[in-house]
Amino acid sequence: MARKSLSLLQERIDSVIKGKPNSVRMAIVTLLSRGHLLIEDVPGVGKTTLAFTLAKAINCSFQRIQFTSDMLPTDIIGLSIYNSDSQNFDFKQGPIFANIVLADEINRTSPKTQSALLEAMNERRVSIDRKTYTLPEPFMVIATQNPLEYHGTFPLPESQIDRFLMHIKLGYPEKEYERQVLIGQQNLEIIEKMEPVITGEEIVKMQLEVDSVIVENSLVDYLISIITATRNNEKIRLGVSTRGGQFLMKAAKASAYYEGRDYVVPNDIKDMATPVLGHRLILKAGHSLNYAELIMKEILERIPVPV
Amino acid sequence: MPRIYKALTIILAFTGCIGLITTGELNPLMIVAGTAIIPGYIRFWKDKPALTKLAVGSLSISVLLVFILDSLLISGEIFIAVAHLTIIFQALKSYDIKEPWDHLQVYFMSLLQLIIASELTQSGIFGIIFIVFLITLVAAMVISHFTKEGTLKKIKLKAPVTAITVITLIVTVVFFIAAPRLQGGFGGKHYKKSVKTSGFSNNVSFGSFGEIKLNHEIIMRAEMSKNLPFSIYWRGVMLNYFDGISWQNTFKKRYRIYRDKDIFELVKIPEEKILTQKIFVEPLDSDVIFGIGTISRIEMETRVLFADYGGGVYTHDKSYKRLNYVIYSTLEEQTATEQTYDYLNLPSELIRTADFARRITRGINKTIDKAVKIENYLKANYRYSLKTPPPPEDMNPIEDFLFNTKQGYCEHYATSMALMLRALGIPSRIVTGFLNGEKNEYGNYIIVRQSDAHSWVEAVIDGKWKRFDPTPPAPPTTTPSAYSLFLDSLRMKWYSYVVSFSSADQKQLFSNFSLRFSKLKAIPKITGLNIRKLLVIILITAGAAFFFFVIKRVKRTKYSFITQEYLKFKKFLKRKGAKINQSSTPSDILKEASRLGIGHNVSEFISLYQIVRFGKKELNNEEKNKYKNLILY
Repeated sequence: MARKSLSLLQERIDSVIKGKPNSVRMAIVTLLSRGHLLIEDVPGVGKTTLAFTLAKAINCSFQRIQFTSDMLPTDIIGLSIYNSDSQNFDFKQGPIFANIVLADEINRTSPKTQSALLEAMNERRVSIDRKTYTLPEPFMVIATQNPLEYHGTFPLPESQIDRFLMHIKLGYPEKEYERQVLIGQQNLEIIEKMEPVITGEEIVKMQLEVDSVIVENSLVDYLISIITATRNNEKIRLGVSTRGGQFLMKAAKASAYYEGRDYVVPNDIKDMATPVLGHRLILKAGHSLNYAELIMKEILERIPVPV
Repeated sequence: MPRIYKALTIILAFTGCIGLITTGELNPLMIVAGTAIIPGYIRFWKDKPALTKLAVGSLSISVLLVFILDSLLISGEIFIAVAHLTIIFQALKSYDIKEPWDHLQVYFMSLLQLIIASELTQSGIFGIIFIVFLITLVAAMVISHFTKEGTLKKIKLKAPVTAITVITLIVTVVFFIAAPRLQGGFGGKHYKKSVKTSGFSNNVSFGSFGEIKLNHEIIMRAEMSKNLPFSIYWRGVMLNYFDGISWQNTFKKRYRIYRDKDIFELVKIPEEKILTQKIFVEPLDSDVIFGIGTISRIEMETRVLFADYGGGVYTHDKSYKRLNYVIYSTLEEQTATEQTYDYLNLPSELIRTADFARRITRGINKTIDKAVKIENYLKANYRYSLKTPPPPEDMNPIEDFLFNTKQGYCEHYATSMALMLRALGIPSRIVTGFLNGEKNEYGNYIIVRQSDAHSWVEAVIDGKWKRFDPTPPAPPTTTPSAYSLFLDSLRMKWYSYVVSFSSADQKQLFSNFSLRFSKLKAIPKITGLNIRKLLVIILITAGAAFFFFVIKRVKRTKYSFITQEYLKFKKFLKRKGAKINQSSTPSDILKEASRLGIGHNVSEFISLYQIVRFGKKELNNEEKNKYKNLILY
């Protein structure tokens, strides 16, 4: 049942974002793990479309925040405004109060604003004037970063990048799909007309079910040996934290659930390891996601899969 | 794992190895192989992952094979072979430390190494190493205990660890001082030759002086067909000519002993009078063959043996190898057939000695009584001592002994008596060899040490060579511990059952079985040529087969039915050229199988495997059968 609706969801999004089934799968897995997604890519490859389509397909609210250098935390969270009629401060919700939030070019804003967003992501609630407001469920932030533009940007510090469950790239579609995109209808029109295939409530239920996916002991060891290997690699300055391990476990469970299983198999862990752990590695040389992925691949090649 | 715990394990591993290496008994090649321990522990310290099971397993097997070869051929000595084995296993272990159990194994191996080392050495460095080992072991045990309890972080370890370590140290030192043990160690082979030591030699000379140190090195082990009461004289070499300082054997001519197969026959002696001795001689700077009484024949795996006219038997050159032979001899006195004037020479300067001999034996008529008188006189009036001060100038050392110091050791007594007998016209000679030894109850054999070396007198009385021993009994030396005797008995068993397993034994074994048919009589002859090699090959094959079987067995029982099937399929795919390795997941294998177009229902099989293996679901027999032939390849 869950498997069916999830593959339907995948199909629906695939019909809009052509030729990127794996990225779409990662987005869905992130959603099922209650995580947040960081997409690193140049503009115009469909990051916004992906976020919007996902929101639409699960019948959830969607907000897009374009980050700029002069933004304030209140521009995201919201602020209290004095209401002269009731003689009270009324809280006006910011754009963060949505199910799917697209934080576009997150590295363009100041660290202060970034941290406000990341705190909301982590706590799943915001506090203003000693009052706490819970964010809607499901809640997922899809943040984007432009890797090529460095001028006037504030790169996310490692501790904050760590909050994202996954870090993926979209990349250009293959020639055939690009052709379809070019001659086809405008994306936005399709999305506007799109019927949801699943509801937000169902997603929340699935998120709970993901937690009960079982992980056999030897697979826990396998996961631990992957994490330990990142800490002992000579090319890596700082390996994966325990939180990174937790995230990998979660993602593996969600991946198993996505495949319609109630148990994790080795491939779930091996598949998720690179997108979940890659951006958490602090390398000795350079700081490129591509290089980190290469090292992750090397590490995974070395660790024996339990049989 | 706390850093300190790791450090202690490393120290323990190294103390064991260093302890063994400092004995200087190991094969340099094995030590070189053992240095693999250094990179091993560097890896371990840096938290590098352990080697794979396959690598460790195959290395272990090859080490065991080397061990078999080593114990039979290379060092030919189980003790040294075990020492080599522990050195290499210790190195191997450094690549395979994962669980607390592995640490314990390292401790155990170090302990074993130090026990072996204690058998091989007597140097002071070993004592220091052993104390380091004890202290480290205690610290490791205490820390591992607290680690297990999970209280390592909460309490301060310094005080208890220091206290326990100090107490252990004190107890050890007290024990070390108080425990009775041999003066010169046990079985040590590298005794410093700078001081004059007791021991067997082809010559007897009075050219050097000073105190003789007793050397307790084991020189010979012997099993006898009959249990003889003590006063066993192991005859070595006979000396007939004394030049005033030293004795020599002037029978330069040695003759080859007639050989029939492995039997060398000297004289025929009726079988009922034969005493058999199976003798194992440690490497010795001498070519002499030892035996009790008069040797009739010798059974030995060698090409030639020589004999001289004094009843001495020799190998063709000094062998620095371990020898084993069987002596068939008799305790009956030998008839003096040679020309006896060879045994009457007396240096002219020894006039006082001659006078002395006549004075003592004045009034005695019978030759035998004269000899007994001299023997008893020396025994009663002189003192046994290993200390001999240099004689005054112009004084013969023998006369100095007889008339001034009146103390000396066997060589003085034997020489004096022989010379005194010669002065009386009784032909006499000196025989060197060993006296008694000690009985090892554990193996019912006799251990003979360098310190048992002895010399005595043989004189012609009524046409027969009669033995006299004028040396008074030496003060008793410390007896070896039961423990070392027990260990030695193990060594003896190894020698008699494995090392000396000769072609004759082999033939006997063959003939004991079914080879009574006349047609098959040729077989033992053919196989007899290379029995040792054959034995080694059989052992190695059996060992390899055994380990192969064990490993298969372990593998089988470790994995469930479905996992075994999965592994088989994986192997099959690999043979077909699939790019899979240890890091391939079942999904990767499925992908490769479909890429290569191998197998049917692979996808069903893989998902089934994953359900059983990772979904923790049991298969019933029906399902098992159903899936048994799922993959048709």
